Amino acid sequence: MKVVTGVVGNDIHVVANRLIELSLDARGYEVFNLGVNTYLEEFFDAAVETGADILLISSLNGEAEGWAREVKLLKSKYKTLDDLVMVIGGNLVVGTADADVIVPKYKNYGFDLVFHQVDLNTGLDTLEEFIKERQAS
Amino acid sequence: MSLLQEEREIILSNEHVDNFDFAEVEEFVKNANKELFISHHFAQKKKMLVQPRGGFPTYKKQFALNEFFVNANVDVLPLTIDSNTRLNDYATAKKMLRLSEESEVDMLNGYPLVNHGYRTTRKMVTHFNKPVSLRHGTPDARLLIETAIASGIFEIEGGPITYLLPYSKNFPLDKAFLYWKYVEKVCANYSKLNLPINRESFGPLTATLVPPAITIVIQLLEMLLSLEEGVKSFSVSFSQTGSMNQDIVMGHVIRKMAKKYAESINCGDATINLVYHQWMGAFPTNKDFAEQLINMSTVIASMVGADKIITKTREEASGIPTKEANAKTVANTQYTLGILNGLPNIVDEEEEEILTLEVEAIMEAVFNDPADTLWRKVFNSIKNGTIDVPFSPHIINHNEMITIRDANKNIRIIKRGNVPIPDRCFEYEKSKCDLTKDTTSIVNDIIHDIGIMQ
Repeated sequence: MKVVTGVVGNDIHVVANRLIELSLDARGYEVFNLGVNTYLEEFFDAAVETGADILLISSLNGEAEGWAREVKLLKSKYKTLDDLVMVIGGNLVVGTADADVIVPKYKNYGFDLVFHQVDLNTGLDTLEEFIKERQAS
Repeated sequence: MSLLQEEREIILSNEHVDNFDFAEVEEFVKNANKELFISHHFAQKKKMLVQPRGGFPTYKKQFALNEFFVNANVDVLPLTIDSNTRLNDYATAKKMLRLSEESEVDMLNGYPLVNHGYRTTRKMVTHFNKPVSLRHGTPDARLLIETAIASGIFEIEGGPITYLLPYSKNFPLDKAFLYWKYVEKVCANYSKLNLPINRESFGPLTATLVPPAITIVIQLLEMLLSLEEGVKSFSVSFSQTGSMNQDIVMGHVIRKMAKKYAESINCGDATINLVYHQWMGAFPTNKDFAEQLINMSTVIASMVGADKIITKTREEASGIPTKEANAKTVANTQYTLGILNGLPNIVDEEEEEILTLEVEAIMEAVFNDPADTLWRKVFNSIKNGTIDVPFSPHIINHNEMITIRDANKNIRIIKRGNVPIPDRCFEYEKSKCDLTKDTTSIVNDIIHDIGIMQ
């Protein structure tokens, strides 16, 4: 399966991004890593260009919400992205907040899976289960 | 008028610069107090110089910070520049500075030097009469450096590679080389008027599992690019790796090779200093542990024989440190240095040999690039992966090299990508690690290895 990944916004934190790429690679995905400082448009363009199945956005500096608000609107402008699995993970707020509050909020923004401060392998295991279920249904 | 002078006039006619008087600045540098030159303090070599980090937006707060530092017995004052200035966005810096002045909230993460101007900043610099080190992270630092020197700041950190690969995604690397060439020339020219202006490279890079060979190669190349333009005082640097043995080996090799390569381009007359950064990776949240880690760094810096140490604070894990925490760490570091006497001389011949061979092989590959100038050779070498910095966010960096820690916490290369690590060295590095693990376990190890305090 093809995955487009990267860090959203003016965020230069690259360590986790690199580790996500290595882990996805090890799990057999074909990875297109856009790296840090990536705008939403670039993510969607890359998903179209590569024919990706999954878009995995990450964020560390807490500013993701400012970008995520526009996801639905922007995605609707692309005709071929209806089946794209949308994932976001990292540190998703400035300051602190409970996952109970954050997860529904981001799901509402258009994400299928939301990982706020979730360990990398747990997140990827959940993603694999999600895809399995989706394929079964 | 020379081409350089023409370029200078254009850069200094920027709308955010308050009429720059070349003749007056030259006169100031010519007569500047020797105490302001770090090169003067290096030459005297009474002890390892201690320099903290720090920068505030307003003149008032920066002045107060410096006062704190001087009372804490600092040897070198820092001046950290705000992130808008780093991106040459002087208009935003100006707005944020005004907001910071009008409210009690700091709207910038450093001192907007260009907006304050050299006439104002010089008052502060000459008031304290201590050498000031300019710390910024700017790819196009031409205006910033002109303003700094005019202010009496004669220690300039950075370089085209070390201020780009860890800090930027897509600033053009070839432009960075040319802009830094300008900086080197300006520093070299001013150096002729009084004591040498010191240039310092930024060795920590991404501060995440960077193997010693990569750090040393980049230090040597930035040094050569600087000396080539006529700089006479240069500092190579590196940060605590997490392995005491590896730090000591690295200290020996970098000193030895810096001298050798400087001589190879007939610049053996330049003074080369060694700077050591206290731990630059993720800090423990336990402040007492953070203090132990910092103290450990100071001991290693002594064993390495550093000429200068750059400090961290016990508050590192929880955000930007206060001036009190910064002053405390300076005082503690000075105390530790004072009681460290007669350290044993440790040599690990095998590790030194391996590291030397690695550095020589990469340097040779860079020199063998067919381009006509050194900066173009280096540019091509980064582009084709001969030089590869782990965890660099920049698109030009290959990111093919993979490193982990061995049982003794040494950083080892387990995947070399296009970096020409000789086979013998690569086998040695791998022999220190358990490579039977699957990729997922290795990724877990890397996450663990990024810190050293677990």
